[in-house]
Amino acid sequence: MEKVAPKKTSKVDKRAKIISSFKMYILENGKAPVSVFKFCRDIKIKEAEFYAYFPNFNAIKGAVWQEIFSNTLSILRAEPVYNEYSSREKLLAFFYTWIEELKHNRSYLLAIYDTEGLPPKSLPEELRGFREDFKAYAKEVIKEGEESEEIAQRPYITDKYDEAVWLQVMFLFRFWIKDQSAGFEKTDQAIEKSVNFAFDLMGKSALDSFVDFAKFLYQSR
Amino acid sequence: MEKKEQGSIPVGKVQRAAKFIKTGAKVGGNYVKHYARKIGDPSVSRDQLDEENANDIYSSLSELKGSALKVAQMMSMDKNMLPKAYQDQFAMAQYSAPPLSYPLVVKTFMKYFGKSPDQIFDTFSRSAVNAASIGQVHQATLKDQKLAVKIQYPGVADSVTSDLRLVRPFALRLLNMSEKELNHYMGEVEERLLEETDYLLEVRRSLEISQECAHIPHLRFPDYYPDLSSERIITMDWLEGMHIKEWLLTQPSQQARNQFGQALWDFYHHQVHELKQVHADPHPGNFIMMNDGNLGIIDFGCVKVIPEDFYQGYFSLIKKELVADKAELDKIFYDLEFISDLDSPEEKRFFKEIFKEMISLIGRPFHQDRFDFADDSYFDQIYALSDRVSNDKMFKKSRQARGSKHGLYVNRTYFGLYSLLNQLRAEVITTKPQWLK
Repeated sequence: MEKVAPKKTSKVDKRAKIISSFKMYILENGKAPVSVFKFCRDIKIKEAEFYAYFPNFNAIKGAVWQEIFSNTLSILRAEPVYNEYSSREKLLAFFYTWIEELKHNRSYLLAIYDTEGLPPKSLPEELRGFREDFKAYAKEVIKEGEESEEIAQRPYITDKYDEAVWLQVMFLFRFWIKDQSAGFEKTDQAIEKSVNFAFDLMGKSALDSFVDFAKFLYQSR
Repeated sequence: MEKKEQGSIPVGKVQRAAKFIKTGAKVGGNYVKHYARKIGDPSVSRDQLDEENANDIYSSLSELKGSALKVAQMMSMDKNMLPKAYQDQFAMAQYSAPPLSYPLVVKTFMKYFGKSPDQIFDTFSRSAVNAASIGQVHQATLKDQKLAVKIQYPGVADSVTSDLRLVRPFALRLLNMSEKELNHYMGEVEERLLEETDYLLEVRRSLEISQECAHIPHLRFPDYYPDLSSERIITMDWLEGMHIKEWLLTQPSQQARNQFGQALWDFYHHQVHELKQVHADPHPGNFIMMNDGNLGIIDFGCVKVIPEDFYQGYFSLIKKELVADKAELDKIFYDLEFISDLDSPEEKRFFKEIFKEMISLIGRPFHQDRFDFADDSYFDQIYALSDRVSNDKMFKKSRQARGSKHGLYVNRTYFGLYSLLNQLRAEVITTKPQWLK
């Protein structure tokens, strides 16, 4: 019984070990290991043990994405000024920090996504977890924006905003992977511009007045 | 004009081009409006048209930031080249353009110092207190010292060249220059603008020039903090005071005006004649009228180093007796590229006349011991002359650019200085270097 606590830490260690060994393997070989069996033999764990944490390699890739995301969030939340931000600034800060976190893993990500690339339409399986996490976060930010009236409430459309912001995540990732500028300054600009564009669209605009006006004309015919 | 907070610079070339096209279209529209109005009421003056054009061009340029705004500033500097209505609008461009988002500021700090502004400073303003042409200024404090922190917009350095290409058609129209003339100067402008994006160079120069000028009475330079500065960030002391326009509203005494004016004159005198490098950006936003009567000087982004041979030629022109000495004058005109062997005798005669007139006009403050810059008739003469020049057929037809490219920034500096002194309505002792006496 007294062994429960140390066992728990070793569990976490093992999961982390699998993730970091997997990253290392990709970094050194430029591709995923041929089989779970070979990978386990290399890092000296039993194959059965591997499955206790991950069903396959894709799940590890997914874990890496989620880890980057949760690191980003904890960095953001540690920043006292973050809570004072408007929704627009929160999202900007999120992307800047996220790209910084991605930078730590650039070679790994390049090895996976530069050769194969992200499929343009269907979402790679390993991104599902990250997508859910991100959308939950985005919903929160958007809700705050609605409360502060930074974001206009529009029937049907408002519910889709988190999806739209997710598309932005993918856009920025693709942009950053291809970015050749020093210090990825172009990506910074892409963030600044795309977020501002998105928020200008989501905010009250001429479009709302137009719909309102059109409705009025239609009703008073 | 109320500026709304702007989150992005349209940096993509297409976006920028679109901006210019938009302005172009608007300006065109203003002309249509103008003529429509004119048909209805023949007394409508060009002033109103100019004002509308200036408004549209200004609002486009202020959204552009970067080098495009810089060019707008330069055009507003060379006041004499612009119709009156443009001047006020462009003067506005000199110290207000919309800011960038705070997260990007934090990001820039993280990149260069590995710390956020809040971790480095005791306080740091969330929004920009002032926008410079290629960056914005935040106010900070550290151990009771109030600081100004200037942060450069990302991508500015990369966009200088493509910006200038976009400004060309505007410059051609507004400055009434020929294509050839413009090319002649664009290289020089590009070089200065690229230097201006190098903040490390700016800190070095600021320290250097402020030390060299420390002995001049009634001048104040901020302290610079190289440890808290980088390629994109400059930290310096915050100088408390007013910009020239605000200060003038307080109805200062003639003595106070003269004191600032003299400090300004002495500052430029020392730089031009002793250091041979000069703060070539004398626009009102770079000077602070401090409460203690000192003139605060900020922003050494644009420094022109004056080559010795150019210096000799250029300044010997202000010698009063020179205008009489034909042979020597001719030689200087050749040296400074005002005239060349490509010119026909008729052209030579014409341009020599014009330049002589210009020189005696622009050199006039030097010909006296004291000069009263409040004398508007003097400035009207300058404007009238440059109006005449820019509309003259001979200039338009001219096959070549006239005047050495080094003259561009030196002229700009003197026009800027004169026009500041004129705004101050100051009377100053116009000192001359020993060799010109």
